Parts: sequence; structure tokens; C-alpha cells
Amino acid sequence: MSLTYVDRLLYFWFKMSAGPYNYSYIFKYIIIGDMGVGKSCLLHQFTEKKFMADCPHTIGVEFGTRIIEVAGQKIKLQIWDTAGQERFRAVTRSYYRGAAGALMVYDITRRSTYNHLSSWLTDARNLTNPNTVIFLIGNKADLDAQRDVTYDEAKQFAEENGLMFVEASAKTGENVEEAFLETAKKIYQNIQDGSLDLNAAESGVQHKPTQPGRTNLNNDSQTNRDNCSC
Amino acid sequence: MELTPHVQEKLHAGHKLTAVVEAGLVQDFIKNTRVVALIEVASTHVKQGGEQALLIFQTARVPVHSAIDLSIEQVIAVDTNLKCEIDTSSLDVDTDVLVNITSGKVRLLFEMPFSQRTNAFVSEILRAAEVVSKRRGPPPEFAWLQPYQKSSTSSQDPASPGSAPTTADTLDGLGGDAVSLGDVSVDICQNLSSTYPDPANCNTENSSVHTENERSPDLGVNRHSIATGLSPTPIAARESHIRYQMAMREDAYTDIQEFTVFVGTWNVNGRSPTVGLAEWLAVDAEPPDVYAIGFQELDLNTEAFLFNNSPKEQEWLNAVLNGIHPKTKYRKVRLVRLVGMMLIVLVQEKHLAYVRNCAIDTVGTGIMNKMGNKGAVSVRLDLHNTSICFVNAHLAAHQEELERRNEDHDCIFQRTCFHLNITSNSPPKTIKDHEHIYFLGDMNYRINPCDMNIREVASSGEFKLLLQHEQLTQQKNAKRIFHKFKEGNILFKPTFKYDVDSDEWDSSEKARQPAWCDRILWYGDSITQLEYRSHPQLQISDHKPVSAIFMAGIKVVDTRRYRRIYEEVMKKLDKLENEFLPQVTIDTTEIILEPVKFYQSQTKYLTIANTGQVPVQFEFIKKLNDVTYCKPWLSIRPYSNFITPGEKCDVSLEVLVDKQTAAQLNSGVDQLYDILVLHLEGGKDLFITITGDYERSCFGSSINALVHMNKPFRDVPVAKLIDLESKQPKELSEMPYAVPKELWYLVDHLHSHGLQVKGLFTHPGLQKEIFEIRTCLDEGVEHQVLPGSVHSVAEALLLFIEALPEPVIPYSLYQAALDATPNFSLCKEVINKLPDYHRNVFEYLMAFLKELLNHAEDNTLDANTLAHVFGSVLIRESSAVAGSSDRRNQNQAIERKKQTFVHHFLMND
Ligand SMILES: Nc1nc2c(ncn2[C@@H]2O[C@H](COP(=O)(O)OP(=O)(O)O)[C@@H](O)[C@H]2O)c(=O)[nH]1
Ligand SMILES: [Mg+2]
Repeated sequence: MSLTYVDRLLYFWFKMSAGPYNYSYIFKYIIIGDMGVGKSCLLHQFTEKKFMADCPHTIGVEFGTRIIEVAGQKIKLQIWDTAGQERFRAVTRSYYRGAAGALMVYDITRRSTYNHLSSWLTDARNLTNPNTVIFLIGNKADLDAQRDVTYDEAKQFAEENGLMFVEASAKTGENVEEAFLETAKKIYQNIQDGSLDLNAAESGVQHKPTQPGRTNLNNDSQTNRDNCSC
Repeated sequence: MELTPHVQEKLHAGHKLTAVVEAGLVQDFIKNTRVVALIEVASTHVKQGGEQALLIFQTARVPVHSAIDLSIEQVIAVDTNLKCEIDTSSLDVDTDVLVNITSGKVRLLFEMPFSQRTNAFVSEILRAAEVVSKRRGPPPEFAWLQPYQKSSTSSQDPASPGSAPTTADTLDGLGGDAVSLGDVSVDICQNLSSTYPDPANCNTENSSVHTENERSPDLGVNRHSIATGLSPTPIAARESHIRYQMAMREDAYTDIQEFTVFVGTWNVNGRSPTVGLAEWLAVDAEPPDVYAIGFQELDLNTEAFLFNNSPKEQEWLNAVLNGIHPKTKYRKVRLVRLVGMMLIVLVQEKHLAYVRNCAIDTVGTGIMNKMGNKGAVSVRLDLHNTSICFVNAHLAAHQEELERRNEDHDCIFQRTCFHLNITSNSPPKTIKDHEHIYFLGDMNYRINPCDMNIREVASSGEFKLLLQHEQLTQQKNAKRIFHKFKEGNILFKPTFKYDVDSDEWDSSEKARQPAWCDRILWYGDSITQLEYRSHPQLQISDHKPVSAIFMAGIKVVDTRRYRRIYEEVMKKLDKLENEFLPQVTIDTTEIILEPVKFYQSQTKYLTIANTGQVPVQFEFIKKLNDVTYCKPWLSIRPYSNFITPGEKCDVSLEVLVDKQTAAQLNSGVDQLYDILVLHLEGGKDLFITITGDYERSCFGSSINALVHMNKPFRDVPVAKLIDLESKQPKELSEMPYAVPKELWYLVDHLHSHGLQVKGLFTHPGLQKEIFEIRTCLDEGVEHQVLPGSVHSVAEALLLFIEALPEPVIPYSLYQAALDATPNFSLCKEVINKLPDYHRNVFEYLMAFLKELLNHAEDNTLDANTLAHVFGSVLIRESSAVAGSSDRRNQNQAIERKKQTFVHHFLMND
């Protein structure tokens, strides 16, 4: 009886996973940075073109997608927005693997979020592949009056560490599009000039669309324990 | 799943169900389930049997259980207007096909599963459409559909007269609206109106797809419909969907620009162009934007007739190129010729870049319906965003061949078929698939004999009277031919038949009556005729050339707006894709446990509610470097499950600190803290933090730590506990006990109260009493009395020994102990190697057990039983080793050795 329903579901997943979308690549992005710097708002602004002022705290890893065009190629971005709380740090580290792009965000009105960048950068460097494009975003550029980090020092930090950099605002949308697109362009360029090996398991780029989820947080295959104690 | 009986039940007597299928109706960006049925009326019910129609039902649930679930949403007559196309661009999807059903302004897009059933269904529709197209006589009335239209849930078309709204506009010979892309269904316009201030000519009054009240303005999804499996799902084939959406929104990104179109027709009677054509083609002050020039009887040679090969083609082309308007430059778009019929389409050079998808076709209707002496040659093209078709026809001649002409007309409409270039991926187009159609040629319709002197009247200029007897006009008014086409008022003399090189009527023997053989008709909303005239100055043929000037509204794309709308569509699809990601709400992300006690389980619940629009498969997954998805003291049930939208799932989280996990918690190696990763298949992950305090207990503490605790366990500061459990404790007691006092209390209690008790160590204790004993031991035993029965105390003792993080026989001596079992002295050597306090404990226990055996008559214990029970708790292998499989196979042998080991000490000492 319920066959049609199940069919529909299977069908739906088929569509979502391997539907005939007209894109050639999937790039995986992660967004990292301290809590409250506006990571989720940036993601939302990018996928929905809206500012979500009362964005709930991310407790986990949000997922968003959008199709963009780079050099005439359609590319699907799969974006993982991680929880910034220190206590989740150990868990969110699992999500770095296989990211083609990392957007590292601080809040220009809160110096502490800038000071923590080196620790985020260490994680990003250690946990992603050497070709992962890291893009630094100084968010909340609309709050210039409350600025606590100058553009120049951040720019210098970016240069010293070989990062791409903009100041952006998830509120006004300023430079948001640019940050995501520039990252994609850079990744695409890496593919074109051969420095990013698509066959490498952790390139973060897929040629064929596959299901977004099911990131195996672990190296080895999952042991589905039904019962942990006794 | 079987729909047939339920649909059949909805039908009226005499109506038969031909085929039925369940399909997803694409509405805006989502699709909803519909049942589509093809029905047929029995021939006794209508004059001409075999009329068919499509019924589209909404369904109250899926699958459909009874006829009550179905309500008619729409009725579409299968007439010449109906088109059913399979979107070939989606064929790479092997599960679904996109089926486009259009009828006039109704345009429906269905996703149907790629199945035998769909295949059969679509074939039936195509067959039905073919039957209709082949049919002769007056157009079908479809009066039998009336009862269905009454019950239809959609709004009735107010513009149509009462009887049969969907068929009132039916065209017989020709499909009507040629599915102009601007004529979109109402719901889409309404959805758009918020985004686009001016949805332009959305032809709202003429649509019968949906009314506003049927659907919420946005994509709100009805919970009930989700629960019943009716939830809309995202559109599958994104690319075709974008095309569909862009077509629907065309008005928003195109502007109408007026183009002048010159259409000319001339039957040249096989003559060569010995005169200039400017008097026909260039009489107007301004040059037209487009020329479509048709000739008939270009070449009467048998060579041309048989081999379609004629030198006249080039001669006349040159004449045309020399005769067209000199003020501007033209480029040839296409030339098509079949025997004597030739059509040349030219556009001003500046427009050439905007002419796309040109195609030609020829249809011969001459002898055997094949030869090209009669028929039509056609050119189609897209000028900017408007599709245009020019048909140059030459129909059957002679006064009495009226029906033959009508049939030629039908034949041309049926058989003309343009194949666009393969890469564009679109299905072949027929004449009626075009927004603008110009039909020109020598139609050969005559003036019926009447009481007037036709020649006289024709010469006088009183054409009105004469036109009443004109066959084409009559047939058109009778809707036999050229339905929905327009023709301008004829204010020129009949163009046939003159003596060559004169303006005199045919003076030959045959003395043919004058007739308006040469005509130009058009179809399309935004076309106005400016001129309709003949050119009697050109006398080389027995026909006079005719021309018409049209002002045609062409849809010109505004690239900026196009780009913007394209992006809107993409954005909306992206947004939808995000909206259709699995979504859940959990009632808490932080679970705080009540104080957790040793061996006392505690259960917390987490409610996962599917608040998204799609079913969710959740699973708790492992974190990086973890072996399991949660700590060993926690168990989650279910750890993975499936939730349909609107439903919830309760997950139980049971915390139990047992002998395996206590030591880690006691020593501070582990804490009651875990972050669970709840993963939604294909979507996000949620983190759930679980925290609690573990009430440390002597159970799970080590012998070496316990002997240094002179105070009740509970009174020892946590820091000291952790220190004592560390490898090199800093704060050792000056007066350590020989054995842990807790052990002493347990044994002493049994010694005092249990020696004579039957079944000691074989009879189970009570869980509750064991907890009390534990608490008592942790908090300090008063008056050396433990609560509970001796059996509970006995079990507590075993539990205490088993919970020791380092067994009495330490892991390091485990193998030595097993190997020593054949020989008592070897066993004693092992005991001599034990750390002091462990040896104390061992000897203390052995002494107690021997004492028990001394009372064997009362307590019925025997050495084998005791050795077995205690062997298994005193000698334990580390869990790392225990896991390996070959060990497990030897389990029994090992248990036997453990027993033997203890047995030696009970019997031999
Ligand atoms: N003024 C301003 N506020 C922002 C901006 N981006 C985020 N916020 C606010 O900062 C807070 C934290 O944003 P959120 O995206 O949840 O940060 P996350 O923890 O990094 O994901 C929210 O209250 C947002 O409204 C911005 O560009 N300008
Ligand atoms: Mg966030």
C-alpha cells in the first residue's frame, strides 16, 4: 500500500543526490571563526540574499547550497557553516576534511575574534589539504563606528599568511557574494592550472554531483553500534 | 495503487476510461500529485464517436483509496488544439519524463515516472490527437463533457460561452493560440506579481489552471498533505525547469517592438521575370523589416515537376533581390522551393543577428498526395523572441474542387513539420506552434455561381456582394478552414484570370470566371494589417501579384532584465533546494543529567521533530578519531531512524556507569560529558551536549587507592581521589589498611550473617538493596551493619571485586595465572608476585571462602562453585584482549582455568 509513498521518497532522494543538475563541479566550503562573528548570517545572505538578524546560534553544522557560475561553468557550492563555540571545536574539526574552500570569519567590532584567527588558521591549515583556498572575511563592515580592528592590520595579516581578504557585511550584503565567488574562482583556477588534483580524495571538489550529506566524520567505516554499554 | 476502478467510478454512463496515470503537476517550483485520465465517449452518445478528453483530478490522498479521494480539477478536450509533448531534454533522467500538455492557453507540465504505464498513457493521448486531426467535417462539440466541467474545482472561464468552456475556442482546421508563451496560467502570474510589478499581459481571465484560493500565495506546505504523502517535491530536471520558468516569465523581460512585414504572393504562370518587381515589392515609402515573397507556378516544366530542378529559381530570386526596397540592405534568411512553389524570406541586415532557429519544410499535395505541383512550402524562424511561420501554398485548382482545396489546407497544416537543429533539443514544430503565422499563396478558391454577372461586378469594384459568394470566405466563416486566422478586407479586383500582358479577363475558350485566388491571411495577436492590395501593373502572368504590409509586435528581449529574471529563477531554485533540505527541531541541545550513581541507570529523552518539508533520515554519527558515536556509558535508542514531515521521534539516552566505565570516571580519565552529532542524511548536523556529575564510588576504585582512604569514600576530596588513582600518588596514607575497608565490611557482614545461608553466592540479590549497600559503603558504615539481605551483600561483594579497575590478579599476571593452573605451586608463585595489597585481598578472600566451605552443610556451597564464581571476577583479562575473536572461542577453557586456579587455593592450602 505504502509503496508509492516510499517510491516517492526514494525518488526524491535520487533527485536530491544525483539529479540532472546542470553543473559540472561541486565545491565544498567550510565557514569557520568565533561564535557570533556572523558566519551563519553570511551563509544565509549568500544562499537567500537576506539578512537574518535573529539568527539562532548554530549548534551543529548548518548546510547550504547554491549554484554559481565561474568561467561559464556551473558550480554547485556545498557550504558547511560550523558552530563557533570553543567547546564544539573538537567536533567541528571533523568537518574541515575535504573542504576546497575555507571562509575564515572575524568580527571587525570585536578584537578577540580577530586575535583568535591564528588558532583558526592553524586548524584550517592542519586539517585541510594544502590547496584549500582560505579566504579571510572581516564581517560586520556596516558597523564601522564600532570598529575594533583596522582594515590595514587585517590586510597585513592576510598577506603574511597568504590569504585572500575582504571586509564584508552579512547585513548589507556588501562583498558577501564576492567572497564566495572569489574563493570559487581561485579553486577553479587551481583546477585549471593543475595544482588541485581532483582525484585526490580530499580535494573538496567533485566532478559528479553526489549527495551533500553523509560526511563520514571518521576515517574508517562506521561501526553502527546499537548498544554502547554492557 | 490501482487507479482504474476509482476513476471509472467518477465517469458518467457511456464514458469509457482509456488510460490513467498518476503524475506530478508542476506548479511554479513544486509539483503536486494529480491523476490524469483519458476518457472517451461511446459513439452512440455523439454524432461522431470517438471524442476524447483528459480529466485532471486532484487527489485527497496518495495512494488513492477510493473515488471520493478524486475531484476533477480540469477538463481538457482532445481536439486539434491539444498538444502533448515529451520534453526530450530531460531524457537523461531515467526515472521521470516531463510531459507538456497544452491546449490553447492552458499549459500544464507533468512529471511522470519513466514507466510502461506512462508510455502507454502518452501513446494513447497522441493516438487520440491523431484521430482528431484526421477527422473531417464540423468540429466536435464536446457537449458530453459538460457534467464534468460543472464539478470541476477550477474557475470556469468567464470569457467562454456557457456550454463547454474548454472547447468553445476549439479550432478545427488549426490549433488556436499556438501556445504563445506570454499566455501563462494564472497561478504563475499571481506568484509573480509580488516579484514583478508588471507581469504584463498575463492572460488571467483566460486561464483555467488554478484559482487563487486553491493555493496559498507562497510555497506554504500543508502539514496534512505532507502526512498523507502529498507533499510537493522539488522539480527534478532543473535545466528544463529553468526553461519552463523563463518561458512563463517572458513578458517580464521582453518588450514589444513593431516590425513591418511585407508578404507577397504571385502565381507567375511559368513565366520568367522579364519585368522589374519594384512595382510589387517596393511601392511603400519605408522599407519593411521583413520580406516573405511567395511564388506559384514558377516553372511548369516537367523537369521541374519530376526532379524539382529549375533554372527559374535563380532568375526569380535575382528579380526579387533587384526589386526589393532600395533604401536599405536585406539578407536572405531562407529560400525554399518545391516544383513551382517558392518562398523567399529576407530580413533587413540589421535584424539578421536576431533571427534564430530557421527551418523549412515542404508538403506536396498533388497526385498521390505527394507530388509537388500543389501543396506548400514554409519557412519558420524566431525573430527576437517571437516565433514566426510563413506558409506559401498552392491549393487544388478548378471551380468544383472546393473540397479538394479544403483537404489540401488540412494536409498542409497536418504535415508541415519543422525540425530545428538537433542541438537545440526541442521537439519538431508544426505550423500552429508559432505565435505569428502568415499564410499566403494561390489558394484557388473561386466565386460560386450566382445571379450576378461576376465579370461585371468584378470590374465594377462592388466586391462586397461578390465576396458573399467567395468560397474561401464562406469556408472560413463556416470554420471549415483557416479558423482563427484573419484576412483583411479585399479592396482589390480579383487577381485571376487575366489575359497575359493585359488587364483583360480571360478571353480564352475556357473563359474562366474571375476569382480572388491569391490571398494572404495571418494569425497572431499583435499583428495589424496596414495594406492589402494587388499590383495589376505587373501583367506577365494570368494572375496579378498581391501584397500585404503588416505591423507585427515582436518580443524583443531586454538582456538586462532577462539576466535579472534568469537569476531570480536560479535563485529561487537554489532557495528551494535549501528549503527542501531536511530540517528538524530538537527540544534541547543540552542534556543535563541528574547525579549519576554507579550501576544506576538514568534515562533522558530527546524529541526530534521533522519540521522540514521532506522526510528525514537521522543518525548519530562518530566524531573524528572516535570509534563509536557516543561514550561507553551512554546508549542511544534508536540511534538512527526515519521521520516523515510533521512527525516526531523520541530518542532515549540511557546513562549507565557500570563496572567497565566506573574506573575511568573515578580516575578522572573520563567525564560524564559528550557531544553527540546528530546527522541528517543529506543535510545539516546538530550537536547535542550531554553533561552530568558522576558520584564517585568505592565501586570502581582501585585496591591501592582504597587502602589509603581512612575516611568514608564520600568524604575524600575529589582531588585526592584522582591523586590516589594516579600512577604515582603524592598523598598516601600513613596507616594504610591491609585490605580496603569496604571489602572488609562486605566480607565481615557475610561472615557474621551468611555462613549458614543456603545458596549464598548463587542466589541473586536485589538491585535496590545493592544500591543501598553501595551508598552505605561510600558514605560510611555505621555499627558495622550493611543494609539488605546477605544475598545482596554477596552480590555487592562480587560487583565490588569485578569493578576493580585493576583486577585482584592484575592484567599483567593474567596469562601467567592461566598458565599456572596445572600446578598449585606455580599458582602460588603467581600470588607471590602480586602487589602487596592485591595479595592481601586475595588471601583474605581465600580465607573467607574456606571458612564458607567449612559450613558447607548449611550453605550447601561446594569448592567448585565458589572457585568458578570467584575465579571469573578475580582473574580478568583486559578488555582490549577480550575483544579478539579467537579468545572468545576459547572462552570455556579459560573459564575452566580460572576456576582451577582458585580451586587450588580452596583445597590445597
Ligand atoms: N550589524 C551586523 N550584524 C551582523 C552581521 N552579521 C551578523 N550579525 C549579527 O551578529 C550576530 C551573530 O551572527 P551569526 O551569524 O549567528 O554568527 P555565527 O555564530 O558566526 O554564526 C547576530 O545577531 C547577527 O544579527 C553584519 O554583517 N552586520
Ligand atoms: Mg552560526
